[in-house]
Amino acid sequence: MKLNEFFVTIIRMKDQIKHQNNRVAIQVLIAEDDKVTMEILKKNLRGWGYNIVTVDTGQQAWKILKTGDIHMAVLDWIMPGMSGPELCQKVRQEKRDRYIYLILLTSKDNPKDIIQGLTAGADDYVTKPFNPHELKARLETGKRIILLESQLLESQNKLQEMATHDELTKLWNRRAIFQILDEEIIRSTRQHLPLGVIITDIDNFKRVNDTYGHQAGDVVLTEIASRLKKNVRKYDKVGRYGGDELFIILPNCNLVNLDFVGRRLQESINRKKIKTSQAEIHVTISLGGASSESAPDTPAEKLISESDKALLNAKKKGRNCFIISKKIQNQ
Amino acid sequence: MSDQQNQSDVSPIDYASALERIGGDEDFLNELLELYTTEFSNHFEKLQDAIHKGDCQSIKDIGHTLKGSSANLSLIGLKEISYQMECAGQDKDINKAKDVLLILGKEFQRLKDYIDSR
Repeated sequence: MKLNEFFVTIIRMKDQIKHQNNRVAIQVLIAEDDKVTMEILKKNLRGWGYNIVTVDTGQQAWKILKTGDIHMAVLDWIMPGMSGPELCQKVRQEKRDRYIYLILLTSKDNPKDIIQGLTAGADDYVTKPFNPHELKARLETGKRIILLESQLLESQNKLQEMATHDELTKLWNRRAIFQILDEEIIRSTRQHLPLGVIITDIDNFKRVNDTYGHQAGDVVLTEIASRLKKNVRKYDKVGRYGGDELFIILPNCNLVNLDFVGRRLQESINRKKIKTSQAEIHVTISLGGASSESAPDTPAEKLISESDKALLNAKKKGRNCFIISKKIQNQ
Repeated sequence: MSDQQNQSDVSPIDYASALERIGGDEDFLNELLELYTTEFSNHFEKLQDAIHKGDCQSIKDIGHTLKGSSANLSLIGLKEISYQMECAGQDKDINKAKDVLLILGKEFQRLKDYIDSR
């Protein structure tokens, strides 16, 4: 992707996220043991469009904060079981994916208490009897922070996706698939399990592009990627190695399984033509495989080079063919 | 408690300020006052029990809770007396708590009379 295209995508992404955030319903936990105060809070917060969850003890509040999908919490300072500041401290000590904005509700308003509450991890505090306009404004502040965080997380996830996936096929990209290979080799060695790999490419792909155009070629490549993904197990990984070369990692896969999977993949492409706007095109793939079954310490480079040689042999044998490297097998 | 005697001349609730706090909804304020009186009775019983047992922490906590809910409804006298109860618990002064309990009961009765007369 060119740099300017990349920035256009980022800007579009930000707009999309902004649009989504406007519709996000903010979940607020209210922890308050006094029923009168609770009723006033409930009525106000509902009126301001928040989704609320209510509890009247510190323990119940902790249970919800720990497991529930809460964005903000309004916590009474003094509650049975656990105080507001204790709750703040517990929330902050926990490792969390998302931030919870914490507001303490208190009739304590001397600076010492306020410092204690904020030090415990509260973001803000409102003194009782609270002025509804003030509480509304303070909740809005929290909402802004929560939405900002959710925008950041969203774009982080999208950037992560962009950095590790191939844009056309949505498969793992070259860098990601080889990183996964390194990790899987370590895991397989530790667990004493065989690791299988397959390199495959489309037979006469250049001819497809030359005859039907590159758009049809893209459709063919995308369809093949999708069929391969459907025909491996969930924990197998399929990545785009080069132009039309795809790389498949098969954890816990011995030579018998490898043979079975390779043939299934080959057949998944061969048996049904691929629909493009130009024509229905019959394509085949050639595949080369290797497994660490008989040589557990096989490094990544060896697995790649052996499966690559097997792929060349499959091509030589007339294509639409799957060959497993004998070299590692015989070691 | 000369303050309390003075307060007996004024309304037990600053109605206008309570109403403003809940957005002017009179029906809702009446519901809240009803809820308050039910809750108050529970707290009052617990307070009596705590004073009897000499449980100063409970005296302090209940006093604190009552102070908060009284403040939210602008029950000026009840808020002040609850605060004194909280202080009695804090100071571990059971005799003071006993005195304050009597005043609290009287002020609550004033609120009930006020509600009934409306």
